[in-house]
Amino acid sequence: MSNGNLNLRKAVEALRQRGLDGLIIYSSGTCSILHASYLHYFSECKPLGPHNAALVSKAGDVALLVEPPWDALRNSRISWISEVRGSADFTKDLLAIMRQFKITGSVGLVGSREMTINIYSAVEHKASVVSADDIIEEIAREKTPDELENVKKTARIADLGFNAFLEHSRAGIREYELVAEMEYAMRRAGADDIFILISSGEHNYEMHEPTDRRLRKGDIVIGEITPICEGQFIQLCRTVVLGKPSPLLVEKYDMLLKAFHESLKTVRPGSPAGALSQAMNKVISDAGYAEYCYPPYMRARGHGFGVGSIAPGAVIDDDTKVDLQENQVIVVHPNQYLPETGYLACGETVLVTQDGMERLSETETRLYSKEV
Amino acid sequence: METRQPSLRIGRNVWDPINMPEAEFQQRVREIRRKMKQRGLDILLVYSNGFNDCGNTCYVSNYGIRLPRGVLVALPLNGEPVLFFEGSSRGLPFAKTTTWISDIRPCGDVAKECAKYLSENNLVSSSIGLVGLKHQMPHRQFRSLAEALKECTVDDADSMLQDLRMVKSQRECDQIRRSSRIVKHVFDFLANAAIPHMNETAVEAAIYREARLAGAEDVRILFSNPGEDQWALRLPEDATVAEGQTFIVYLAAAFERYWAEAIRTFVVQNGSFEEPELENAEALFKRIADEIKPGKAVSQFCGEAIKEIQEDGFGLISEYGFGGGIGLSLNEPPAITQVHANDLKEGMCLALRLALKDKSLGGIMTANTLVVKRSGAELLTASVGTLNKP
Repeated sequence: MSNGNLNLRKAVEALRQRGLDGLIIYSSGTCSILHASYLHYFSECKPLGPHNAALVSKAGDVALLVEPPWDALRNSRISWISEVRGSADFTKDLLAIMRQFKITGSVGLVGSREMTINIYSAVEHKASVVSADDIIEEIAREKTPDELENVKKTARIADLGFNAFLEHSRAGIREYELVAEMEYAMRRAGADDIFILISSGEHNYEMHEPTDRRLRKGDIVIGEITPICEGQFIQLCRTVVLGKPSPLLVEKYDMLLKAFHESLKTVRPGSPAGALSQAMNKVISDAGYAEYCYPPYMRARGHGFGVGSIAPGAVIDDDTKVDLQENQVIVVHPNQYLPETGYLACGETVLVTQDGMERLSETETRLYSKEV
Repeated sequence: METRQPSLRIGRNVWDPINMPEAEFQQRVREIRRKMKQRGLDILLVYSNGFNDCGNTCYVSNYGIRLPRGVLVALPLNGEPVLFFEGSSRGLPFAKTTTWISDIRPCGDVAKECAKYLSENNLVSSSIGLVGLKHQMPHRQFRSLAEALKECTVDDADSMLQDLRMVKSQRECDQIRRSSRIVKHVFDFLANAAIPHMNETAVEAAIYREARLAGAEDVRILFSNPGEDQWALRLPEDATVAEGQTFIVYLAAAFERYWAEAIRTFVVQNGSFEEPELENAEALFKRIADEIKPGKAVSQFCGEAIKEIQEDGFGLISEYGFGGGIGLSLNEPPAITQVHANDLKEGMCLALRLALKDKSLGGIMTANTLVVKRSGAELLTASVGTLNKP
């Protein structure tokens, strides 16, 4: 996914346009499903330590500072940035590079949301700090062919995760054992991180991390299956019934499928993201569940996924005004708590295309059942 | 050891009150309050964020951070503690199964919610102890909370909890023993398994599976090939594990919040991981571990370890240090360095590491989790082959 020189050129251009002396792209080493990984996007560095940053000067100098010191070698191999420094005293080393790069007047700070007070204050003491997440968001808006290939690769891995979910969902297996098998299938296929939430029972309230609970005949097993490759998340929301599903469950799931398909019809460039939520909520509301479409029961009907940007955002609800754009990756999920059936998982990740959208997964979004 | 944080802890998340009963937390709270009283604190605010250092809030509440978001426990000198977590109210029923604290408040911003709580309880002009906030809370939240605390007397109380956490109770040692069992199990598996398609991704996936099936809540893996010109521990890559290659595996596993870690050096032979004959290094590790005694200064122990290595003619790879405390976090005090002021104490749990230069293998790394007992160190993760046996 190396696009380093182009990213650097665009970043320097943005600095000049804004009259900034430099840019700090910071990461606390956390990786969140609902936030972009700016440092990873820009530098291809997957941080290990608690403080890491890339620094760019308006003259085009660039350096990568990582903790712990011994992780510099790995990052010098994977990052396009040639100057990689390991650090045992992040704040001191960060300020030294700022001095070296003559970042003394004003500095754009990307990822400041994660920065602790001690480091932020130290930077603020040396230069006027301007929040600059949008510089990377803007660069990331245009996806490269390699990024799109990674999106599709990750989607294929999500399918494998679902296959394992279906194969191993059986009476007697514990939730954490089921998740272990799903994780194994996806890591073996190349996922470098896994996000799975799950729940099992006759009436689920939410998805959570796996417990000791053993699956039983009659259980509704729900899962958010989300492999991550090179910072790209792709999600499938699936429901499997152990045994023959009741007519009531089939009826309610069909209603969610209708909501899902109505929602997908709104997905195209230029359409407000909120339209997909409204379409979904209309179907569910028309079925008599309006109050269950909104907090405290439900809120987000989807969100964006991406490495450098999660546009159109971390929450797509009825009020999301921002327009969808080509090549955005969004999960559309009418996951829903219903009083008769409990929480049901339904949905998948799609790519916004020039004409509408492309479903990324091969497995069908439907209610699955297994003979017990 | 610093390792990459996952986006979510996807392993078994269970609070087993047989292993860690509520009485254990009540005892901790009593001890914390005794120290609060000594320092004249009306309330303690304990904050954690992320998966690598969420031990402080977990120590008080047993609540495990599920996503990399903030958690804050407000512990008043008198009255019930409150747990704030950043997440939706839908997460409340599950959160209740993992903590003894009954007043749990999901929210969008723990700093704002905590400020509101302090105001509602007339604590805005009290004496407040802060744990974890300066080092972990994002600056915007810290500033908004600091604004709410401007009439308070604020005391940096990190060391207060640090001192308590450094020496483990019997139940904590037992939990670390359980996580050590997972680490041992995985290394036993590696030493006996024939892994098809010997590449790092496949080995990593197999390790994760074994650890998860054994109940690991969180797992961290680093590999290294010391046969390369330049090498360091690193994340697994999509690379072939070659016949004859030296292969170093760092593994940490958490069980019901508590971590254990170990490192092993293997040589790949006939498609499986063999432990090379490392009698001298093995004897050296044992001698160093034998130097661990309650009452000895950490700095003195560290000096003795360096001397042992020099006397044996080994070259020390110093970047990884000798390790340090382990428990609710992978990296806890005391750090085993020549400048650490604390003494070794009975009940401390440590990850003891040794990284050595080796002409034939390129490098040797070994590490074990241990508990400091009255008689010395008991290695909890040692079982594979000959290396690292106590």
